[in-house]
Amino acid sequence: MRKHPRGYSIDYYAYLSPLRMWNASFKVLLSVSILLICIIADNIYVSAAIILGMGYLTVRKGNVHFQDYLALLRVPLAFIILGSLPIGVSISKHATGDYFMNFHYFYFYVTSESILTAVRVIVKAFGAISGMYMLTLSTPVNDIIMVLCKSHVPKLITELMSMIYRYIFILMDVQYRIRNSAESRLGYRDFKTACFTFGNSMSSLLIISLKKAGMYYDAMEARCYEGEMHFLKEDKPVETRQILMGALFIIIIILIKLFTEMEEGIVV
Amino acid sequence: MSKKQKKLVLFATAMGLMLCITPVANAMHIMEGYLSPKYCIAWGAISLPFLIMGSIFMKNTIKENRRSITLFAMAGAFIFVISSLKIPSVTGSCSHMTGTGLGALLFGPAPVAVLGMIVLIFQAILLAHGGLTTLGANTFSMAIAGPFLSYGIYYVCKKCNLNRKVSIFLAACLGDLFTYCITSMQLALAYPSKDGGVMASAVKFLGVFAPTQLPLAIIEGIITVIIMIALETYAKPELKSIGFLKEVN
Amino acid sequence: MKQPILKITDLSYSYDNHEKILKDVNLDIFEREKIAVLGANGSGKSTFFLNINGVLIHETGDIYYRDTKIDKKNRNELRKRVGIVFQDADNQIIASTVLAEVSFGPMNLKLSKEKVKEQVYEALDYMNLIGFEERPPHYLSGGEKKRVSIADIIAMKPEVIIFDEPTASLDPLNQQMLEEVLKKLEKEGKTVLISTHDVDFAYRWAERILVFSKGEIIADAPPDEIFQNDEIIKAANLKRPVLLDIYEMLVNKKFLKAENSYPKTIDELYGLLSKSN
Repeated sequence: MRKHPRGYSIDYYAYLSPLRMWNASFKVLLSVSILLICIIADNIYVSAAIILGMGYLTVRKGNVHFQDYLALLRVPLAFIILGSLPIGVSISKHATGDYFMNFHYFYFYVTSESILTAVRVIVKAFGAISGMYMLTLSTPVNDIIMVLCKSHVPKLITELMSMIYRYIFILMDVQYRIRNSAESRLGYRDFKTACFTFGNSMSSLLIISLKKAGMYYDAMEARCYEGEMHFLKEDKPVETRQILMGALFIIIIILIKLFTEMEEGIVV
Repeated sequence: MSKKQKKLVLFATAMGLMLCITPVANAMHIMEGYLSPKYCIAWGAISLPFLIMGSIFMKNTIKENRRSITLFAMAGAFIFVISSLKIPSVTGSCSHMTGTGLGALLFGPAPVAVLGMIVLIFQAILLAHGGLTTLGANTFSMAIAGPFLSYGIYYVCKKCNLNRKVSIFLAACLGDLFTYCITSMQLALAYPSKDGGVMASAVKFLGVFAPTQLPLAIIEGIITVIIMIALETYAKPELKSIGFLKEVN
Repeated sequence: MKQPILKITDLSYSYDNHEKILKDVNLDIFEREKIAVLGANGSGKSTFFLNINGVLIHETGDIYYRDTKIDKKNRNELRKRVGIVFQDADNQIIASTVLAEVSFGPMNLKLSKEKVKEQVYEALDYMNLIGFEERPPHYLSGGEKKRVSIADIIAMKPEVIIFDEPTASLDPLNQQMLEEVLKKLEKEGKTVLISTHDVDFAYRWAERILVFSKGEIIADAPPDEIFQNDEIIKAANLKRPVLLDIYEMLVNKKFLKAENSYPKTIDELYGLLSKSN
């Protein structure tokens, strides 16, 4: 994954994406509906269709480098593998299941059914993740916050969110400099030193951030802040073609759900 | 090789594989898509009263002193940053603190519930840790259960006149462990075992995540102690200035 | 007699009732003045600025904006008329796009949406920031951030603009940009105050210099007068501008005849030298 020195690659992509010019409310609506359909349907074909569809949209239309997209999909991989292991594998005192491993006192065993469940969960998770990536790799955070404002999320939350988003990058910048200067003085040479260096640099980061909070407030008041934050914000217009394509995709995955389950019903 | 030895080798390979994977494991965020709708909604509903309580508390603090709005925001950003940094570790693996235990000790558990939820949203959006549908469940385990327990333990230890370092360590470490237990329970409820039910499943989830989470909890405890002691030594006035963000001191 | 735009009488201020940061400051600021504010770090310059912008509330003394006495109730008037460009742009920029950021001030002035848009785009154009509207501040360079922080204030159309150490941490190209902006502001008849450690810049640009030391104004005079006074230079830890040193050296060595007015720029010195030959 290409690294940006002062940021997070997902954020960086969101600003570069051609999909950024799409209407933000539309993207949020599309992404959330697909997410919900994915977890409500709980259907392996639906999930696969979502992985393909959202992957295509993000990589081709969103100009995300395919290698980078794969790297981003690997981020949750550790959790998915660890989180699926207990679903697939069970422990028993007796030899049971389709396949088992004997450990003298107990058995690890799996059944075809449990493996299938685990695979289903994994595919479903990737479907949901690709639905979320479609949104986060194409929509900068401030656009998402704007949509939250429009959908009447409490002002306290949206104002805090927009401030926190801004401060994250400022603190990361400070932290980056503290870390470099500590590394240059061998502050991370071994585990014990590293713990102390890390702890101390975090405490100075906290003190710096408290001071900055005061300065920020002064700067806001100097520009006539009176307790409510207002910004000029404009959403891009939504195109009919995008709505049609989005609706078409949703109809297709719902049809896939109905069709595959009807078939299963016949088989059973 | 005897049959038993073969099994041993197999087991060792399996464990090795697991440890190979775990270096990239992060604090335990339940990933997007892992919970079915009813659990997403249920955990959201359980979190809601805490979030409302936190919001009311923050609103009152801001009403009293308007300057606290930027202080709250900075606190949120600080929790995000500390949870996104690699922390030192013995094995060379890469893990992250939750930072919410420290947040609870510094700012009080009520605002940390709200700030923690916002931090979780940003972790999902910017880092792809956790997810939007699992936000409710993650908020409960990381921003509510852990911090409230940390704060409670710290409070009780203080009442018992326990050594400060020990109480901070216990608060942060046990808070972290509690988060890990709750997350395992959440997963177990969603995916109960065929034969043993929820409890058997919970044991499995606890076991799988133990190799990463147990050392992490101890390191989180140690680092929290170092941070708090450094703050108390060098930054008494600054600590006082955030004192008013807390209910009880 | 000319009427001051800001009149400050016996102003004192302290944080948390500790030592006084500002002690009995008396000052008249007139329209269209170009004032440089000099003084060591911690001498009270920034606190003074926050006072005359109405962010901090003075304990004793009065501030008048054109005859109107400023108190707690109408200090927003002062904030509207007096704008501050803070030293560190990162401590000022709060929004996550340039457009939203520059609109923060005008939105707080409760202008209509059309008016806000008009003023924002005017300010963006002024600072050469057209095309940056959708960019987030964390992917801007230091110089670009500075330009955004200046556009922030210009969009509010204040009469008095304060720059708090604007030249610190700017590269030569951006310093030049800043001086061009200052020239433009001068043409528009704005009153400008700049705090700086750059004595050469202060000497070149200012018409009037205020010297702060330990919370007091210890000198208030035109640049040539300030820099001739060794006592003040010593008291405020300043140094003399290089150009002034060179000019006096040339006069002492009889390369130049002493004149009433001192050269402010290299070009002016060159002009004097060519004239004497």
